[in-house]
Amino acid sequence: MSLITRNLCRTLVQGSQHVSKGLHTSAVNSEKNVCFAPLSISSLQTSKEGRIKCTLIPGDGVGPELVYSVQEVFKATSIPVDFESFFFSEVNPTLSAPLEDVVSSIARNKISTPDFSHTGELQTLNMKLRNALDLYANVVHVKSLPNVKCRHTDVDCIIIREQTEGEYSALEHESVPGVVECLKIITAAKSERIAKFAFDYAVKMRRKKVTAVHKANIMKLGDGLFLRSCEEMAKLYPRIQFEKMIVDNCTMQMVSNPNQFDVMVTPNLYGNIVDNLASGLVGGAGVVAGASYSADCAVFEQGARHIFSGAVGKNIANPTAMLLCSANLLSHVNLHSYADMIKNAINKVLKDGKVRTKDLGGQSTTKDFTNAIIHCLA
Amino acid sequence: MAVRLLSKVKCLPGIQGVVYASGAAAPAQLSDFELQHKTPVIRKQKNIPIAQYGGRHAVTMLPGGGIGPECMGYVREIFKYIGAPIDFELVNIDPNVDNDDDVQYAITTIKRNGVGLKGNIETKSEAAYVTSRNVALRNELDMYAYVLNCKSFPGVSTRHKDIDIVIIRQNTEGEYAMLEHESVRGVIESMKVVTASNSERVARFAFEFAKRNGRKKVTTVHKANIMKLSDGLFLETSRRLAQEYPDIEHNDMIIDNCCMQLVARPHQFDVMLMTNLYGSIVSNVVCGLLGGAGLLSGRNYGDNYAVFEPGTRNTGTAIAGKNIANPIAMINASVDMLEHLGHHYHAGLIRRALDKTINTDRVLTPDCGGTASSSEVVDSIMQNIGRC
Repeated sequence: MSLITRNLCRTLVQGSQHVSKGLHTSAVNSEKNVCFAPLSISSLQTSKEGRIKCTLIPGDGVGPELVYSVQEVFKATSIPVDFESFFFSEVNPTLSAPLEDVVSSIARNKISTPDFSHTGELQTLNMKLRNALDLYANVVHVKSLPNVKCRHTDVDCIIIREQTEGEYSALEHESVPGVVECLKIITAAKSERIAKFAFDYAVKMRRKKVTAVHKANIMKLGDGLFLRSCEEMAKLYPRIQFEKMIVDNCTMQMVSNPNQFDVMVTPNLYGNIVDNLASGLVGGAGVVAGASYSADCAVFEQGARHIFSGAVGKNIANPTAMLLCSANLLSHVNLHSYADMIKNAINKVLKDGKVRTKDLGGQSTTKDFTNAIIHCLA
Repeated sequence: MAVRLLSKVKCLPGIQGVVYASGAAAPAQLSDFELQHKTPVIRKQKNIPIAQYGGRHAVTMLPGGGIGPECMGYVREIFKYIGAPIDFELVNIDPNVDNDDDVQYAITTIKRNGVGLKGNIETKSEAAYVTSRNVALRNELDMYAYVLNCKSFPGVSTRHKDIDIVIIRQNTEGEYAMLEHESVRGVIESMKVVTASNSERVARFAFEFAKRNGRKKVTTVHKANIMKLSDGLFLETSRRLAQEYPDIEHNDMIIDNCCMQLVARPHQFDVMLMTNLYGSIVSNVVCGLLGGAGLLSGRNYGDNYAVFEPGTRNTGTAIAGKNIANPIAMINASVDMLEHLGHHYHAGLIRRALDKTINTDRVLTPDCGGTASSSEVVDSIMQNIGRC
C-alpha cells in the first residue's frame, strides 16, 4: 500500500526545492509571474511530498505523441513524478516489453498512464494487462468542457464498468461448424465488487444517484445476477438514490437527455458502448479521461480507447484527455494543487478558444495545444 | 438489516449472506438489537467487499461531540500533509436528535467501509428508550474486543515510569447489555449478561494477541468471589483457554485488588483481560497513570470491522473550541488505523514525529503539564514529519 508513496518524504527537502525551481522557470516562460507566485506558495504548503514513481505506457497509435505532451507539461511545472516508461505494443509485438515486466512495474509503482488498444488475438494485451493486475473497475468521467461545441451542455456523468468478466471472458468456440458460442460470464463476487465500487465512488465524489445498466429482461440469469447484486449493495447506501435502466433505453436516454444521469454502473460490454457513446456526446475520444482501478493499483487512460492510427506523426491528436488523465493521477497521489493547476490550464485554453485541435474544429497542432497549456499553467 | 439481507440471500445462491454459527434458522421480524442479543448463535455479518480502490482506502469518520471535530480536523491536516492514501467519509451525528437515523447510517457506512475512526458520540437524551450511541455502535457491529495499548511516554512526567500494559476488554455484553427494568416499584434490576461464546472469543483474542506480540503474561480481572456464576464463567473460560497457550503465563486478579495494584505497582501487569465495566474502569485508571485522557488510543475489533478511537471515552465538551484539547489521542488512533490498513510507511512517519514531539521536544498541551496549544502540538508534529 504505502508503496504508492514509497519515496515520499525521503526526498522531502529535495521535492520542495523542485517546486521552487519550477516556480522560477515557469514564471519566466509564461510572463505571468504575478499571479503564478501566490499559487505556488500555496502549493508548497499543501504538497511537500517527495517524488512519486509512475509507470508510463505510451502504447500504439498517437499514444506516444500524447504522452510526450503530458511529459512536457510535467516538466514545465516540475511536478515531482518520475516516469518509468515501457514500450508495450500490440502492433509491434517483437519490440514490445514483456507483459510480466509491465505488470510488475505497475504493481510496484501502483499507478500508471497507459494509452493503447488494438485488436489482434483472442485476448488482447489490454485485457491481459487488466486481468493480470485485476483492474476490475473502469471509470470514465464524461464532462462537458467549456467551449467545446456539442448538442448537449452540462453533461456530467460517471460511467463505471466491470472489465474483467462478462462478454470479455475471451471464451469462444465453434461447437459445430457454423455455430460459434461466446460465453458471457457473470459472477456474484465480481458483480458485488463493481456495485460496491460504484457506490463508494459515488460517495467519494458526493454524487446523488447510481443507475445500473442491464438487459435483465432478456438475460434473466446473467444480467439478473448483476442487477440483484447492485440492488443488494444499494441497501447499504440509503442516502444515494438507486435506479436501473435497460441498456437500449439507456443509450436512447443518453443521447436525448444525458443530464439525467449521475453515476452509472454497467457490466463489461454495455459499459464499453455507453462509454463511447457518452464520450461522443461531449467532444470525442480526445477529451474524455478514464481510469481503471484494482484494489491496489490505478491505471489512468483515455475514456474511449482508440489508437487513432490515422493521425500518427501528423501532430493533430488532441492531448486534452491525456492531460486530464494526468491531472486525475496527480489527485490520486494527493498532489491536488498540481492537478488543479493542470485542469485550470485546460479549461482556460479551451475557454479562450484560440488554440484548438482539429477534432474540435480548430487548426492547431498537438504541440501548439501543449504549449498553450504550459503558458496557462498558473 | 440482517433479516432483510437474509430474505434476499435465499434467492441469490452465490452470495454468502448471514453466517450461521450452528445452523440455526433466523427468526423473522426481529430488530437488529434483538437479533444481536436474543439470537447469539447468528453472526450477522455479511461479506461485503472492502473499500480499497487503487491503493486508497475509504474510512468512515465520526467526529462525534466535544473536541471530536477539532481533533478530526488535525488528523485530516496531517493526513493531507503526508499524502496518506485514505478517503474519509464524514458522518455527523446530531447529539440533540432522539431518533437513531444518523447512528444507523454511521453503522451502515462502517459496515461497507470496514474501518472507522471515531470521536466520542454524545447521547444527550436520558430517555430510557434511547440507548447510548457508542454502545449501540459496538453492539451492532459486534465489535467484541477492545484493545488499549498503554505505554508510558518518557516526555510526560508521571509517578510511574516505563509502564507497558495492554488492556483487552469484552466490549459488547456484561453490564452494558442495556437490559434494565423496574420489576416492582422502587426496585430496578439491571442485567449483567455473560455468555460462554463471547467470553471465549475475547479470551481467545487476548491470548492470540499476547502470542503474536511477544507478550509474556495474561491477567484476567474479575469479581468471581461475589458474582460466582457470571464472572465465574468468564474466569473459567479464560482459564480453559490458557491451557491452550502454555507459553503464556496466566493469572487472575479481583478487580478491587487490581485497581490498587495498578496504582501501586503497575509494572507487574502485561496483558489484562476483563469484562466490560471493569475494562471501562481499569482503562481510565491506566490512562490517568500515564498522563491523562488525551494521549492513548483504543481499538475496537470485531470479526469483520475495526473502529479506532481515543482511549478514554470522554467527549471533552468543556474544552471544545478553546484550542487546548490534546490532539495526541486522536492522532494515535489514526496511526493505529493506518497500521490496521497496512499503510505502515505512513503510520511510521506520524508515529516517529509524534514520539519526537512528545518525548524530545516536549511540546505538550496543559493537561500533560505543557503550555502549548492544540494547534502548536499539531504544527510541531508536522514539522517533525520526515525529519526523524
